[in-house]
Amino acid sequence: MSTPADVVPTELVPTAADPRAGRRSRRAVARSAGRERRVVGVIGALALLAGTGTALLAFGVFGSGRAQRPLLDPMIVDALRNQALVSRIVALVVGVVLVVAGLVWAVRALAPERRPDLSLDAGADTSVVVTSSAVAEAVAGQARTLPGISRARARMVGDEREPALRLTVWLAEDADVAEVCRRIPEEVLAAATDAFGGRVLPVAVRIETDSADGPRVR
Amino acid sequence: MRVLVRILAPLLGLALAAIGVLGVVEVVTAWIQPDRGGDGLLVPWRAWQRALDTQLWATTPVKITGIVVAVVGLLLLIAAFAARRHDVPLRPPAPHVTVTTSPQALARMVGRRVRASDAVTGASVTASRRAVSVRAEGWDGSPGSQDPPGDSVEPVDTPRLADSVRADVESLLDDLPLATRPRVAVSVRALGGPR
Repeated sequence: MSTPADVVPTELVPTAADPRAGRRSRRAVARSAGRERRVVGVIGALALLAGTGTALLAFGVFGSGRAQRPLLDPMIVDALRNQALVSRIVALVVGVVLVVAGLVWAVRALAPERRPDLSLDAGADTSVVVTSSAVAEAVAGQARTLPGISRARARMVGDEREPALRLTVWLAEDADVAEVCRRIPEEVLAAATDAFGGRVLPVAVRIETDSADGPRVR
Repeated sequence: MRVLVRILAPLLGLALAAIGVLGVVEVVTAWIQPDRGGDGLLVPWRAWQRALDTQLWATTPVKITGIVVAVVGLLLLIAAFAARRHDVPLRPPAPHVTVTTSPQALARMVGRRVRASDAVTGASVTASRRAVSVRAEGWDGSPGSQDPPGDSVEPVDTPRLADSVRADVESLLDDLPLATRPRVAVSVRALGGPR
């Protein structure tokens, strides 16, 4: 009893059948700007709400009596003075939250994207680590040998537990895109999988064309 | 837009952190030095309080400030929304592989194919995941070449040029393993006179 599934190399099965591999490879396409977009979006939404509220109040939408009161309303100042301890604690907590959140956002936005090394399963008491630059060089070099590819660049992305590979190839003018797409997994990625002891990495391939005619860099 | 958001995010984060530091410093100062008479370490609260006490909500500066803040917030929201990726996905050759290209690269491929035709002298292409639009400039069909009889009264060459450009684009899209096939829009400008 032999089905086509039986002839698949065993090391391919866990990752190839893993639905997370597709998601991880999609995540490797480019550095995510999701967190930055959320920060900017949330601050923008708060500013929009506050500005609209202020303008509506000032134009007397909430009643002309309300609009004729001073900005620093004595009613509110008195309420804060009566609860001085609570006001101070609330102000302190808000200040600390702002400091922590602001610094975390800034540091995460400014931190460079990680290039994890690839650790291979080499046995019980042996550990083999392939540096990220070695993986990148090997894969990019292999990709450059394909016909139709003028330049190639690769880098590791993600973290040590879930590494992935981002491969950018620049097509030559006479390239057959379909053939390049077919041969990259067959030849480049298969060679990389062999070299790394059968470990299948999620891969995001980016296809670009040179803006000038012909390759600028060889 | 992505670059703008990448620059804005750390700046806004640092601005928030600065406001937080100021707040904490001022509250702690007010707590441990209650004899400062209401003035803070860095912020002249007294002067601010006097200004805010006399300013009414229904005054022009407040209205302008509210509108400006709302507009800035709207611009930030638009920037955050527009900073998404515009990748053009290709059919994945394996489950663990994702292949994408950029709209610019797709447009360049289409442009190369369209300009390769002898009848086309120039073309500009814009492309996205959903649509490819080509504006081509070229010569009318060669005189008397394959004109069907009975078709010679009106010059029907311009539509024929559009058809050939469209056929070029469609054949390229047949070759490309795009995940979704974009719509093709072609507009041509026929050049008069001898070739």
